[in-house]
Amino acid sequence: MLETVVEFLNGAQGRDFFRFLKVAFLAFFTVAALAVLFAPRARPGRVSYGLLRVIVTAALAAVLAYQATWQLAGFVKPDFVRFMRRYNKRPRAAETQVMRGPILDRRGLVLAAPVPGDVWGRRYPLGESAVHPVGYFHSRFGITAVERVCDPELSGYPAETKEDFPGKNLFAVRAAEGAAVTLTLDAGLQAKAYELLEGRKGAVVVMKPRSGALLALVSSPGFDPLNPQSAVEDDENSPVFNRAVQGRYPPGSTFKILIAGMALEKGLSPVYACPGMGYIAGPNTPPIRDSEYYAYARNGAVWPGWGRLGLEEALVHSSNVYFAQLGVGCGTPAFNRVMARARINEALVYLEAASGKLKTACGHAPEVARKRKLALLAIGQGEVLVTPLHVACFTAAVAAGGEMARPRLRADEPVEKLGMLFMPGTAKQLGEMLRKAVRSGTGRAANVPGLEVCGKTGTAQAPGGDDHAWFTCFAPQRRPGIVVTVLVERGGFGAKAALPVARALLEEADRLGYVRQTGEELK
Amino acid sequence: MSRKSKKSDAATPAGAATGLFLLSSLAVLLACLSILGVRLCNAPALPWEQMIPIGVYLVGVPLILGWLKITGWKGDPGLPGAVFLLCGMGLVVQFRMGSFAQGLARPLALLPFPLGLAAFFVGVTVTGKGRGRWLAGTGWLAYLAAAGVFAVMLLLGRRFRGGIYMPGHMNPSEIIKPLLVIFLAAYLSRRQKDFSETQVGIPVPALDSLLALIFLWALPMMFVFLLKDLGLMMLMNATLIIMLFAVSQGTGYLALGLAAVTAAGFGMRVISSNVRNRFDVWLNPFADPTGKGWQTLQALCAMYSGGAWGAGLGSGVPQAVPIVTSDFIYAAMAEELGLFGCAMLLMVYAVLFSRGFRAAGATRTPFERLLCVGLTGSLAVQTLINVAGVTKALPMTGVTLPFISHGGSSLITSMLIAGLLTGLSDRK
Repeated sequence: MLETVVEFLNGAQGRDFFRFLKVAFLAFFTVAALAVLFAPRARPGRVSYGLLRVIVTAALAAVLAYQATWQLAGFVKPDFVRFMRRYNKRPRAAETQVMRGPILDRRGLVLAAPVPGDVWGRRYPLGESAVHPVGYFHSRFGITAVERVCDPELSGYPAETKEDFPGKNLFAVRAAEGAAVTLTLDAGLQAKAYELLEGRKGAVVVMKPRSGALLALVSSPGFDPLNPQSAVEDDENSPVFNRAVQGRYPPGSTFKILIAGMALEKGLSPVYACPGMGYIAGPNTPPIRDSEYYAYARNGAVWPGWGRLGLEEALVHSSNVYFAQLGVGCGTPAFNRVMARARINEALVYLEAASGKLKTACGHAPEVARKRKLALLAIGQGEVLVTPLHVACFTAAVAAGGEMARPRLRADEPVEKLGMLFMPGTAKQLGEMLRKAVRSGTGRAANVPGLEVCGKTGTAQAPGGDDHAWFTCFAPQRRPGIVVTVLVERGGFGAKAALPVARALLEEADRLGYVRQTGEELK
Repeated sequence: MSRKSKKSDAATPAGAATGLFLLSSLAVLLACLSILGVRLCNAPALPWEQMIPIGVYLVGVPLILGWLKITGWKGDPGLPGAVFLLCGMGLVVQFRMGSFAQGLARPLALLPFPLGLAAFFVGVTVTGKGRGRWLAGTGWLAYLAAAGVFAVMLLLGRRFRGGIYMPGHMNPSEIIKPLLVIFLAAYLSRRQKDFSETQVGIPVPALDSLLALIFLWALPMMFVFLLKDLGLMMLMNATLIIMLFAVSQGTGYLALGLAAVTAAGFGMRVISSNVRNRFDVWLNPFADPTGKGWQTLQALCAMYSGGAWGAGLGSGVPQAVPIVTSDFIYAAMAEELGLFGCAMLLMVYAVLFSRGFRAAGATRTPFERLLCVGLTGSLAVQTLINVAGVTKALPMTGVTLPFISHGGSSLITSMLIAGLLTGLSDRK
C-alpha cells in the first residue's frame, strides 16, 4: 500500500499533488488567519490603547516590507547576489538570472556550455577527457578547476565591477549571459591524448615551448563531469586527482636532461668508466647499475657494461652508472642551483584569475649537502619528486633555447618568462644529444620521419609496485613547435609504455599543424 | 437541532474560539499531509511517533476550550484563536524540521507542548473570572522569585554560544519575563499618580517613586548584563517603557524610551564584543560573509529562495541556515510558506497583540490593566525583535519567536502568558 503511495508521490502526478497541497495549505491558513482577524470582538473598555496597537501593527508591517526587499527583490543587491551564487545551493537561486558563459578551446570549439533552461545544467562535449583542466559545475559537488577560478567571468559577475551586474537585466526577456573563457587547449589533441592512455593511470602534457601555452593537459582515468559521485567515492583509482599537475612522481631518467645541462654549464664533459657491476658512491650505499644489468641478469647473462662513455653517449644510452658519477662530479652547489632554476621546488601557476589560481603541486628536490647523496638524485631517483608539468616545462626550456616560459591555460593571459634555465649554447647542445637519443638511442621508436624528434625516456622506480614510465620530447630540433610529456603510472619501461603515446600525439599534432612551423610561432 | 446547537455554540466566546480552532486544525492537518508526503518520497515509512505533539494539540486544545465553555468564560475569542493557530504552526514547522525526530526515544523533546497547554490552563485559571486582581499582592514575591532565578543561573549556568544556559540547555530566564511584568504591574498600579504627571509633554514623575523604580529595576538589569543576554535586556526595557506609557497615558515615555533603548544598544556595543559582532553583521554582513555574516546571510538566502509563495512545506532547504529551529525559525517559514505565508503569520501576531491591548482596556482594576498591557507588550516586543533580527532589519539579539521557536522554556512561558491574557480578557 505504502509503496504505491510512494510511487505516486515520486511520479509526475506527485509534483502536481504537492503543488495542490501547497496552494490548499496557504488557502486554509489564510482562512484561519482571517477568521481570527474577524472573530467577534469583546465590547471595548474605557481605554483601548489605540496608539500601542497602531505602533505594533505598523512595526510588524514595516519588518514585513523590509523582508520583501530581500525575499522578492534581493536580486538588486550585487553583494547578496554574489553571496547566493557561491553559497546558496537551492535550485531557485540567483543562477536563474544568468546564463553561465561557455568555456572554449583555442579554435573556439566548446569545452563547456550552458543548457538553456536548466540552472545547474552544463554540457561537456569532451566528457571525461577534459574534466581535469576544465572542471565541473555541479549542484552537489560544487565547482572545480577553470569553472571555479573563472567563475566571476563565466557567471557574469566580474569581481571588479560592482555597478554593472546582469541582475539589472532581470526584466529582459532573455537571461543575461556570462562571458566566455577561451583556453589554450586544443580539443582534438586533448581527446586524442586521453584516448591514447586507454584508461591507464597516467598524464599527458602538450605545450608550446616558447609561449608556455598548454595544448593538452590530460589526466587518466577521467570521470563524467556531469556525475562526479562515483569518481569521488573511487579511492582505488582516484579519478578526481589531476595527475598532470597534482601527481608527484620520481622523474627517473628524464631528470638526466637537467643533469647533462648542469654539466655542460660547468664546462664539464668528462669520460667515465662505466663497469657492468655499477657505481658505488660511498660506503654502505648500494651500487647504481644500468638497466641493461637487470635485463642481462634475467636472461642468465652478465652485463659487461658500456665501458668508457662520454656525456653524449651516456645520455643517448641513458647510462645510470655514468650520470651517478657525473652528479657527484658536478658537486652540490651546481645541483641546488639547477633545481632552483628549473623551479622543481615551486608550484607552477598555470592559470591566474581574479578569484584564484590554478597551480601544480610543489615538486621536491632536497637541498643536498653531501656529494654521496647526489649519485641517486642525478638519475632521478631517491627523494626527488616532480609533477608531469614540471618535466614538460624543463623540456620546453631546452626546446626554447634555455628560457623557461610559465605554463598557461588561458588564451588571453600574456606570455611570461620564468628566466633562463640554461645558456642558449647549452640548450642547443642538449637538443642535439636528445635528437641522437631518438635517432639511435633509447627513444628510437619515437623517430617520426621528417619531424626531427628530440626526446628522453624515463623508467622511474617507485616503492610498492612497477616502475613509472616517462617519455618527454620536443620537435622539430630546429625551431621546436611542440613539447610532449607522457607519464604512465606503473607502466614499466618508458620506451614501451609512454613513448608510443607521445609518438602518436606528435603525429596528430603534426597533422593539426602544431609541429612544423611555417611562420612565427603563434601564441 | 444540530444546526441550532451549533449556532448557539458560536454565540458564546468559547464556541467562537472552538470554531477558530477547527479552522486552525484543518490548516495544521493539511500542512502535516504535505510534510508527510515529502517524507514518504524519501523513505516509505510513516513517522507516527514524531506526530505525538500534533496529536496532543488536536486532543488537548478542544479539552481546554471545553473547560472554558463549562466555566462560562466570556473573553475575547480572538486571543485563544490566534494563540492556538500560532502554536499549531509552530508544531508543524518543528515537526518538519525534525525537532521530534527521535520520537519516544527522547521524550524530553515531545514534552514542551503538553506542558505549554498545562501552563495555558494554569494561566487562564489564575486570572479568569476577575481572579487576576489577587495577583497584585504577589508583586514582591514575583520580584524575589525573578532575582532567585537569576542567582541560580549565575551560580549553576554554563556558557554556550555566547549566552548562559542551565544544564540540558534549558533557559529559565524566560520565566523572568512574566515575573517582572507582574512585579511592575503591581508596583506601578499603586503609584499611578506619581508617574502620570507631565510638563509640556515631558513626563515628570515624582522623584521618590522614580528613584525607587530605578533602584529596583537596576538589580535585575545588572543580572541580565552579567548573563550577557542582549535580547532579554532589550525586551524587558521595552516592556517597562510600554507599561510606563500605559500607566501615564503620556506619549513622552514612548519617545524617551525609544531613545533610551537605542542609546543602551549602542552603549552595549562599546562594552561587549559579542554585541559589537552583531552590530557589525547588521551594518555589513558582507564584510565577513562566510564567518560572522553566515547565519544571517543564509537566512536571507532562504527567504529569497522562498519568493512570494514559498517552496511548500517540506520542500525547501531551510536546514542550510545554522541552528534554524530556535532563533531563526522564521527564516524556515519564510522559505516554505513564502512572503504571503509570512504576511498571514504576522497578521495573526498583530491580531493577538491588538486584541491583547484592547482586552487591557476592558479590565476592571488598574493592576489587571497594567498586567495585560505588560504581558501583551512583552510578547509583541519579543516577536518584533526576533523577526526584525532574522530579516536583518535590526541586529540579531537572540530572542526566540513566541509559540514557534524550538525550546521548552520559551514555549511554556509564551503559553503561560497567553493563558494569563485569555483569563484577563474574561469579563466578569
